[in-house]
Amino acid sequence: MAAHIIRRLIWLPVVLFFVTIITFALGLYGPGSPIVVMLGLHANPDTIARLSREYGLDQPFYVQYLNYIGNALQGNFGYSLVKYRDQPVGILIAERLPVTIQLNLLALVIGSTVGIPLGLLAGLYRNSWFDWSVRTLSLIAVSIPIIFLMPVLLFLLSRPHELTLSFWNFKYTIGPFLPMVAGRWEGVLSGKAALPIFIESLGFIAILTRQMRAGMIDVLGQDYVRTARAKGLRERLVIVRHAMRNALIPITTILGLSLGGLVEGSFLVENFFGIPGIGSLAFQAFTSREYYIIMAVTIIIAVAYVFANMLVDFLYPILDPRIRKT
Amino acid sequence: MAEKNDNRWLIGVVVILVVALVGAVCVGAGALLVLSQQTNTAQTSPVPGGVSTPGSSAPKPGAQPAATRAPSQAARNVLRLPGDEPPTLDPALTGDASSAEYVVEIFSGLVMLDKNLKVAPDIAESWKVSDDGKTYMFTLRKDARFHDGRPVTAQDFKYSIERTANPALASHTAETYLGDIVGVKEKLNRKAQAVDGVKVIDDYTVEIKIDAPKAYFLAKLTFPTAYIVDKNNVERGGRTWTDKPNGTGPYKLKEYVRGQRIILEKNDGFYLDPKPQITTVEYIIGGGSFMTMYENNDLDIVGVGISDIERVSDPASPLNKELFIGPRLSTGFVVFNTRKPPFDDPKVRAAFALAIDRQKLVDVVYRKIPSVATTILPPGMPGYKELDSKAAYDPVKAKQLLAESKYAGKLPEVTWTTTGGGGSAGPGIQTMTAMLKENLGVTVSIQQTDWATFIGQLNDPTKNPYQLFDIGWIADYADPENFLAILFRTGSTQNWAAYSNPDADKLLDQAGIERDTAKRFELYNQVEKMILADYPVLPLTFERDHWLTKPYVKDMLYPPLIIPRLRYVSLTK
Repeated sequence: MAAHIIRRLIWLPVVLFFVTIITFALGLYGPGSPIVVMLGLHANPDTIARLSREYGLDQPFYVQYLNYIGNALQGNFGYSLVKYRDQPVGILIAERLPVTIQLNLLALVIGSTVGIPLGLLAGLYRNSWFDWSVRTLSLIAVSIPIIFLMPVLLFLLSRPHELTLSFWNFKYTIGPFLPMVAGRWEGVLSGKAALPIFIESLGFIAILTRQMRAGMIDVLGQDYVRTARAKGLRERLVIVRHAMRNALIPITTILGLSLGGLVEGSFLVENFFGIPGIGSLAFQAFTSREYYIIMAVTIIIAVAYVFANMLVDFLYPILDPRIRKT
Repeated sequence: MAEKNDNRWLIGVVVILVVALVGAVCVGAGALLVLSQQTNTAQTSPVPGGVSTPGSSAPKPGAQPAATRAPSQAARNVLRLPGDEPPTLDPALTGDASSAEYVVEIFSGLVMLDKNLKVAPDIAESWKVSDDGKTYMFTLRKDARFHDGRPVTAQDFKYSIERTANPALASHTAETYLGDIVGVKEKLNRKAQAVDGVKVIDDYTVEIKIDAPKAYFLAKLTFPTAYIVDKNNVERGGRTWTDKPNGTGPYKLKEYVRGQRIILEKNDGFYLDPKPQITTVEYIIGGGSFMTMYENNDLDIVGVGISDIERVSDPASPLNKELFIGPRLSTGFVVFNTRKPPFDDPKVRAAFALAIDRQKLVDVVYRKIPSVATTILPPGMPGYKELDSKAAYDPVKAKQLLAESKYAGKLPEVTWTTTGGGGSAGPGIQTMTAMLKENLGVTVSIQQTDWATFIGQLNDPTKNPYQLFDIGWIADYADPENFLAILFRTGSTQNWAAYSNPDADKLLDQAGIERDTAKRFELYNQVEKMILADYPVLPLTFERDHWLTKPYVKDMLYPPLIIPRLRYVSLTK
C-alpha cells in the first residue's frame, strides 16, 4: 500500500508538468493576449510591444515557462495582469478558494445524506411507488438547467409577494424568505447560501440516487446475496453487510472524485448569486487571458484530482477485498 | 415473512433523517435570516478581512420591516449602488469605466469635467495658455489636501506624471492621455529619465509643454491618468498601495472586499463646493440579481437590462416613475474595411449601408434601448449636430449602386465578423444580414469570435483581416476629435475601416489646432459630412443607459462620461 502511494506521489510532478506546460502553451500561443485585453480598443502595435516587453511576455516560451515554474516553486504565482492589476495571484486565489470549497463540500454532504439513502431504498423496493417517484424526481433534478432554476427560485424565495383577495379587501405580504448576498457573503451557514447550496446539491442528489439504486439492484441479484439469504441470514444483515457495502463501492469513486471537484467553482451559480468564489474568478481570468490566474487555477484543480484519485485507490481495497489480492 | 418486513426500519430511519435534515436547514436558514436582516439594516458588524475603520458610522440597531427600510436608509445617509469590480484603483493604470468610476471619486487632478462635461478647475484654480498654444501654466489651489491632510503641491503633480510615464509601471493609458506632453513618450520608451515637459515653477505653479498646439489637450488632463497621487502612499504601499489609497478626491476608500463590495466615505476636508453630502456610498460589486435587490429596497439605483425594459417602460408600472434614460457618449458602427474587396469600392459600401433599415432594427430588435444613429458624433458630445432627422434607408438605390459597382455580378464572398460565443450570433446581426439578403440578394456569412481575439486583430488597420464587422466606440473625453480624428484620420490605430481621404485629413488637422470653439466645431461638422458620404462605416446606434432611481435619491447624475458625481447627490427623508 505504501509503495502504491509513493508511486502515485512520484507521478504527481509528472502530471503537473504536463498540465502546466499545456496550459501555458495554450495561453501563450492561443489567440488574444492579456495586453490586448488590457488595452481594449486603444491597442496599437507600439504600446503592445512596450507592455509585452515590460511584462516579459515577449520572451521565448521556455524562458517564460521556466520563470513561472521557478517563481511558483517559491510560492510566487505571479501577478494579475488585467482584472486585478498587480494583485498577487496567490492572494486572489486564497481569498476565494475557501468559499468555493465550503460551498461545494456542504452541497456534497447534503447530496450524499439525501441521495444515498434514497437510492438504497429505491433499489431495495424496486418498481414500487417509492422507487418510481425517486427515479422521476432525480431525473427531473438532473434535467432542469440551473440557468432556468436559479431565477425561478430566486423570484419565489427572495422577493416579497403580495397576496390580494379582492373580496375582503385583504392584503398580505409574504417573504422574502431568503436574503440575497448583496455584496456581503456571510459564509455557507448563512441563509444567503441556502439557495446556491440547494441548487449545487441537486446534481449530487440525482447522481448518487441513481448510482446507489443501480448498485443495489445489481448486488441484490448476485449469487452471494442469494447464498446469504439461503443460509437463513436475517434480511437486515444481508442488506447491511452484503448488499449495501458492495453497492457503495461505485459511490466511493463518485464521492472521491467529487472531492477533487471541490476546488472547482461553479461559474453559473457563483455569478448569479454574487458569491465571491473561484468560479467567478476563473471565468474572468479565461475571458481576459489572465495567464497566471488560469495557471494557478489549473494547477490547484490538477493537484486536487490527483489526490482525490489517490484517496479512491486507497479506499478501494478496504471496501473490497477482491482488489486487495490483485 | 418476518424477515421481509425486517428492513422496514431502514425506510423509517431514512425518512426521519431526511425530515430532520430538511427541518434543520429550514430552522437554521430562518434563524440566520432574522439575524442577517438585523445586521443588514444595522450594518454594525465589522467584516473580518476588510480594511474597515470601526465606529465611524452611527448604527441604528434593531430589525425593521421592509416597508420602513427606505426612510431609515436616508437617515443613515447611505447610498447603495450596483458596481463593477475595478481592475485597478491606481489612476495611472485606469483605462476603463469600471475603474474610473471609483478613481474619480477617490483621486483628483488639475482639471475635471463638470456636470455639463465642460473642463473645469479642480486642483488647479486657473491656467493660462501661451500664444503658440504649446505651453500651459497652471496655478494650484492652496487649500487642496490629501486625505491624510498633507497639502497638494506642484511637486506632487510632477511626481505623478513621471510615475505614470515610468516604463516599469507599464501604464497602458500613458500614451493616449499624456503622450502630448514633451518627454513622456521618451521616458516610456526608456530614452529619458525625466519628463522635460512638466516644470515646477514654485509650490503652487506648474508649467506643461506639449509637442504641438492641441485644442483637446485639457480634456485629456481630466482623465485619471493625469491625476495626482501621494508619493509616500505609493512608495510605502508597494505594488498593492491602492488597497489603502491616500487620494485628494471628494470620497475616501473605506473598505474594499474583492468580489463583494466597495465602500466609500465622504472626505470632510474636500476643497470644492458642493462638498460631499452622503456619508457612505456602498457599491455592490459581486454581481447577483441587481433588479431584485432594487425592488427589495436593497439597492437605491439600478441599471435596467433588456429583460426588464418592457416592464419598466410601461407607464402603468410604478417603476416607470423612477426611470431615467440617459445617453452614453457612444456610437455603434457597422465597419466596412476599405482595404478588403468588395468594400474597396465606395459604391458597394453605400449599397450595403442603404440596404440596412436602422429604424426598424432599433425599434423591433433592440427594443428602443439605443436610439438610431445618423451621425458619427453621439448626442451630448460637444459639436454634435443632427445632420439627418431620419436614418437613410433606400433599398432601390442600394440595388442600383451595387449594380453600378465594379463588383456587379461578381461580388466576392462577404463575411461579417462579430463578437460572441453563443450558438448563433445576436439577433441584431442576423436581422441585418437578412436585410442584406432581401434587399441586395447578397448572402453574408457570419463569423463569431471572442472579444480578446477580435480586438487583437483590430489594432493595426493595415493588417485587419475582417471585411465587415460591428463595433462600438465610447468617448474617452468630450471632444469631437476623439471620434472623428481617432477613428478616421489616415494612420490612426483605431481607423478600423482603414479609411483614407486627404481632404478629410486636412480638415481634421486644421480642426485639431483651431482655438475658436465655434469654428472648430464647424470644421468637424464639415469633415463628418465628408466621411459619412464615403461610407467607411454605417453609424448604427447611439447607446443609452436606462436607470431606476429611488425617489429619495436627489440630484443623482447619469452623465455619458465618467465624472466625479457623488458629491452632488443627497438623500431626502
